[in-house]
Amino acid sequence: MVSGKPSQVKILKGRKNFNLFLVFLCLTLVFLGKLDLVAVRNIKSFFSDFLAPVTYAFNKPVKEIAGVLEDVKSASSLRDENIRLKSELRRIKVLNSKIASQELELFELRELLKVLPKNKNNIVTGRAITAPGGVFANTVLINAGKDYGIKIGQPAISSYGFVGYVVNVGLKTSRVLLTIDINSMIPIYLTESNWPAVAQGQNGNLLIIKFLSSDAKPIDGEVVETSGHGGRLPPGINVGKLFKSFSGTYFVRPAVDFHRLTYISIITNQKKNIAVLDGFQGFAPLQKPKKPPVLKGLDSSGTRKIERIEN
Amino acid sequence: MIKNYIIAHILNGFSKNFIYLIFLFFLINFEKSLSFFSLFKIATPSLISIIIYIFIKKLNLVPSYFILFLLGFINDVIIGSNLGTTPIFLLLLKFFSEGLLFDYVNKNDQQDWISFTVTFLASFCIVFFINILLNSSIPDLSPVFYYVGTTLIFFPIINLSINFIFFIKRLLKS
Repeated sequence: MVSGKPSQVKILKGRKNFNLFLVFLCLTLVFLGKLDLVAVRNIKSFFSDFLAPVTYAFNKPVKEIAGVLEDVKSASSLRDENIRLKSELRRIKVLNSKIASQELELFELRELLKVLPKNKNNIVTGRAITAPGGVFANTVLINAGKDYGIKIGQPAISSYGFVGYVVNVGLKTSRVLLTIDINSMIPIYLTESNWPAVAQGQNGNLLIIKFLSSDAKPIDGEVVETSGHGGRLPPGINVGKLFKSFSGTYFVRPAVDFHRLTYISIITNQKKNIAVLDGFQGFAPLQKPKKPPVLKGLDSSGTRKIERIEN
Repeated sequence: MIKNYIIAHILNGFSKNFIYLIFLFFLINFEKSLSFFSLFKIATPSLISIIIYIFIKKLNLVPSYFILFLLGFINDVIIGSNLGTTPIFLLLLKFFSEGLLFDYVNKNDQQDWISFTVTFLASFCIVFFINILLNSSIPDLSPVFYYVGTTLIFFPIINLSINFIFFIKRLLKS
């Protein structure tokens, strides 16, 4: 008589070995994924393309319910919202009248300085299929891919500002790495204090400022834009606002609400007008004025006598 | 006769696992889409780990290792995280849930919660450590705490709901 017990033990052992094999396979996948091989990227984009419609179908009802709840919530605060919007409108009207005159002045100055014309970007807009977020990754899948000319590295924007850049492209879908992701680093420019830096995501709501000069004196609340350094991202896209934490570290609060992204635009071509215009005789752009040399107290030989006189 | 029995057994196992896969895939998508709600803006609770734990411990429905691996892989593709991290988490979760270590505390709901907390935290910590190594930097901890916190809050709610359903079922039967 052969009992069934030993075979059960064997099955259990086999299962354990299989589990270990799968864990080992996962670790290999992690390693291969980190190597950023083309094959792995292609597999990812293939599966993204394949799963995108299913994911969209699953997400759609929940997204709609969340939208309805948000609407109900905002309906309860309609009066306050109305008052706020009225004051906002008044402020914007005043600003508008100022901007019109300043814009004209800006055009004239540009003409005078013969500033190179701004590149006209081609923009492809896609719908966000997946919700952003997750503890370890912050990416969004959009329903436009290679078929619309999207390539890896192209910047993604929304009506509020900079969203991120494309990290993976399939035939029908593309994946955008959001600026808040820990792997995202973007060259930025502090618009008021005039200092370049790098903003790195932290998988949270804020971006941390890195590589900021020790001489820099950032202003709390100043607007941060992409600097365009490195040539990967176009300059002048709104990233967010700067603020200082209690510990003295500077952070950027993104202008974009990543959880309400519905449509994302990809800047697909940045035509580079590098060729210098023929007969270009423009002036050099205005620099910040340097402190003029103080001539007070200098004699004919060039030595300063102020101290001596004071003494 | 024996051959037919074996084929039927294999088909039964396959269909069971296929249903698990579909259900868990639906759940993982639902979990991700919860981030559209402002309450889960920071992070969504890990419903998948709660359900897998309850499946294994309470309902005795054990999903196979391969199904969990496949599910994790799909999840990584959908959310765009490092390939292989979610499968490791799910495999570890099953491994710790099946472990005999916590069997003596699984007497009531409160102890069940403690057992789940230990299981979930152990699997999560390992995956979190792997992610820190991969990104070579420590992420913002507030979403991590929110994720762990909401998961641990949701567990007793789901657990009690399942108990309540079973209670109603028994009541109806009697």
